[in-house]
Amino acid sequence: MNCILNTGRSVSQGVSVEHKGSEEYRSVASACLLNTVDMLVLGIEDGARVRISSPAGQVVLTARSSDGVARGEIFMTIGPYANHIISSETHGTGMPDFKNQKVDVEATDEPVLSVGELMEEIGGMRYDH
Amino acid sequence: MIINDVVCPFCGCLCDDLELEVEGDRILRVQNGCSLSEATFMNDTRLPAPIRRTASGWEEIPYADAIKETADILRDSDRPLLYGWSSTHGETQSVGVHIAERIGAVIDNTSTVCHGPSILAIQEVGHPGCTLGQVKNRADVIIYWGCNPIEAHPRHMSRYTTFATGFFVPDAQRERTIIVVDTRRNDSGGIADEFVQIEPGGDYAVLSALRAIVRGKESIIPKKVAGIAKEQLIRIAGICTNAKFGAIFFGLGLTMSRGKYKNVRNAIELTDELNRHTKFVISPMRGHGNVYGSNEVFTWMTGYPFAVDFARGIAFYNPGETTAVDILRRGECDAALIVASDPGAHFPRAAAEHLAKIPTVLIDPHVNATTALSRIQIPCTAAGIDAAGTAYRMDGVPIRLRKVIDRGYPDDAEILKKIYDRLNGELGP
Repeated sequence: MNCILNTGRSVSQGVSVEHKGSEEYRSVASACLLNTVDMLVLGIEDGARVRISSPAGQVVLTARSSDGVARGEIFMTIGPYANHIISSETHGTGMPDFKNQKVDVEATDEPVLSVGELMEEIGGMRYDH
Repeated sequence: MIINDVVCPFCGCLCDDLELEVEGDRILRVQNGCSLSEATFMNDTRLPAPIRRTASGWEEIPYADAIKETADILRDSDRPLLYGWSSTHGETQSVGVHIAERIGAVIDNTSTVCHGPSILAIQEVGHPGCTLGQVKNRADVIIYWGCNPIEAHPRHMSRYTTFATGFFVPDAQRERTIIVVDTRRNDSGGIADEFVQIEPGGDYAVLSALRAIVRGKESIIPKKVAGIAKEQLIRIAGICTNAKFGAIFFGLGLTMSRGKYKNVRNAIELTDELNRHTKFVISPMRGHGNVYGSNEVFTWMTGYPFAVDFARGIAFYNPGETTAVDILRRGECDAALIVASDPGAHFPRAAAEHLAKIPTVLIDPHVNATTALSRIQIPCTAAGIDAAGTAYRMDGVPIRLRKVIDRGYPDDAEILKKIYDRLNGELGP
C-alpha cells in the first residue's frame, strides 16, 4: 500500500530520548501509526508487524491504529527507525523530507530490530552498557 | 537540599520555575516540571569514561588520550564537519566556532534539520515576533500551526497561552481562542476551539487562501483548499482580524513539508497582512533547549546562523551546499566532530551511514545512536544539570542555566578548549 510518511515528536519519545538502547525507546520509535481502515485493508491488527520500504531503504515496525492519522498516511516519532527510510535529498534547503516521504507498506513476520542493530546495518558497532 | 528557580534545559521553553531536591550528586525530586523535564533530571544515565572503538569492541581510554586523538583526527582531515551544539551552553558553542575557523571546517547546528528553513524565510521577509511574556499577557487568539505543543513543549500552553492567566487576559480559558492547524488530529488539536485538518503538503495553499481572504478577495477562493472548507477559512480569517492581539506559533509541519522555507515565508506574510487590521506576531517553536543559542552564537561570531563553511578562510554560508546532511550525503567530509546531539538517530540513513565510514568523535554525556557510528566518545557535563552556562529561550531571551549538582565530569567547553589549544600549538600561527 502506498502511503506518505509523516514524523514528529511525542512525550514518550522525549522521555526516553537519552536512552536509545532501552526497550521503552525501541517501542515508541519503532511504532508505525496507521489509519484503522488502512489496517483493515492490509489485513493486520494492532501490534502486527509491517515492512516499510522507500528508495532509501526498508525497516520493520510495529503497527498501531490511530484515528487521528488520515488514510494513506503513516505517522512515526522522529528517530533512527523513521530515518532508515527517509531520503537524504534536501532540494537545496538542507532539510530532508521528514514529513512527506513516499513509502510502501506491507505486512510481514520479520522482527523489529534494536537501535544498535540498525546502526550496525549502516556500518556502526553498538556499545552495550 | 531544595534549589528553587532551576531552569530545565530540555526544550526551547527553558522553563525557569523548577524546584529540585538534591542530595550530594543525586537529584531526588523535580517539582513543577513536565514529564520530559523529570526524565532529563531524574533519569540521567551517563557514559562513565571516554571510549575508543577497536576491531572487536570498545575500550575505555583516559581523557588526555581521547583529547589528543580527537585533535589528531581534526588536524589530519581536509574537510572536517563540526555538528550539533544545541543541547549545550553558549560557551561551548563559542569554542566550537573558534575550532572551525582555526582548521577551516564546516560548522553546522541542529537547526539545519529543524528550523533552518524558518531562518531562511526570516532572512527573506523578516520576523515580526515578540517575547513569550507579551503573548502570555496580551494574546487573545493563538494559532498553533504544524506543531504539537502537548507532546513536544508540554508546558507551553500552561505557561504562555491556553491555560495561562495574563495581565490583559485574566480568564485565559474563556478569553483566548485557540486554533490548531495540522495534517493529523493530535492531542493539541483535541483542545482547540478550531481544529483545521490540512491535507499533507497543503500548508502553502491554505496560507495563501487566508491571505487572500484577509485582503478582501474571498470571492476568488474555491469551495475547498487542501481539504479545508471555504467557510472554515473565512471563519478563521474573521477570528484573526477581530483579535486584539494574535500570536502564531509554528513547528516543523511547515519547515519539513513540501515548500519548506516558502511555507514559513507565507506564514510571515500572512502575519504582515493581519497587522493591517490588528496586532499579530509569529514565532517558531524551537526544539532543543539551546538551539536558538547556537544560531545566536554562530551569527555574532561568523555572521551566519548555521551551515558555516570556513574552507575558504572566511565564513561562507549556502544552505543546501554547506548544510550537514548535504555534506554527508555527498560523502564530502573526511572527519566529523559531533557535540551535544545525535545525528545517528536524527539524520536520514545515507547521511548517518557516512559518519561510520570516517573518523567521527562524539562529545556528549549520554550513549546515543551516534555512539555506535563513532571512533571515540568523550563524556562530559550536561548543561543545566552539572554545568552552568547561557542558553536562549525560543523567543530569543537569554537565560542562565544553573549547575545544580557535581558529578565529576569535565565541561564540554573545557574539553574543546584543550582540543583547540592542541590544534593551535600544532598548526602554528
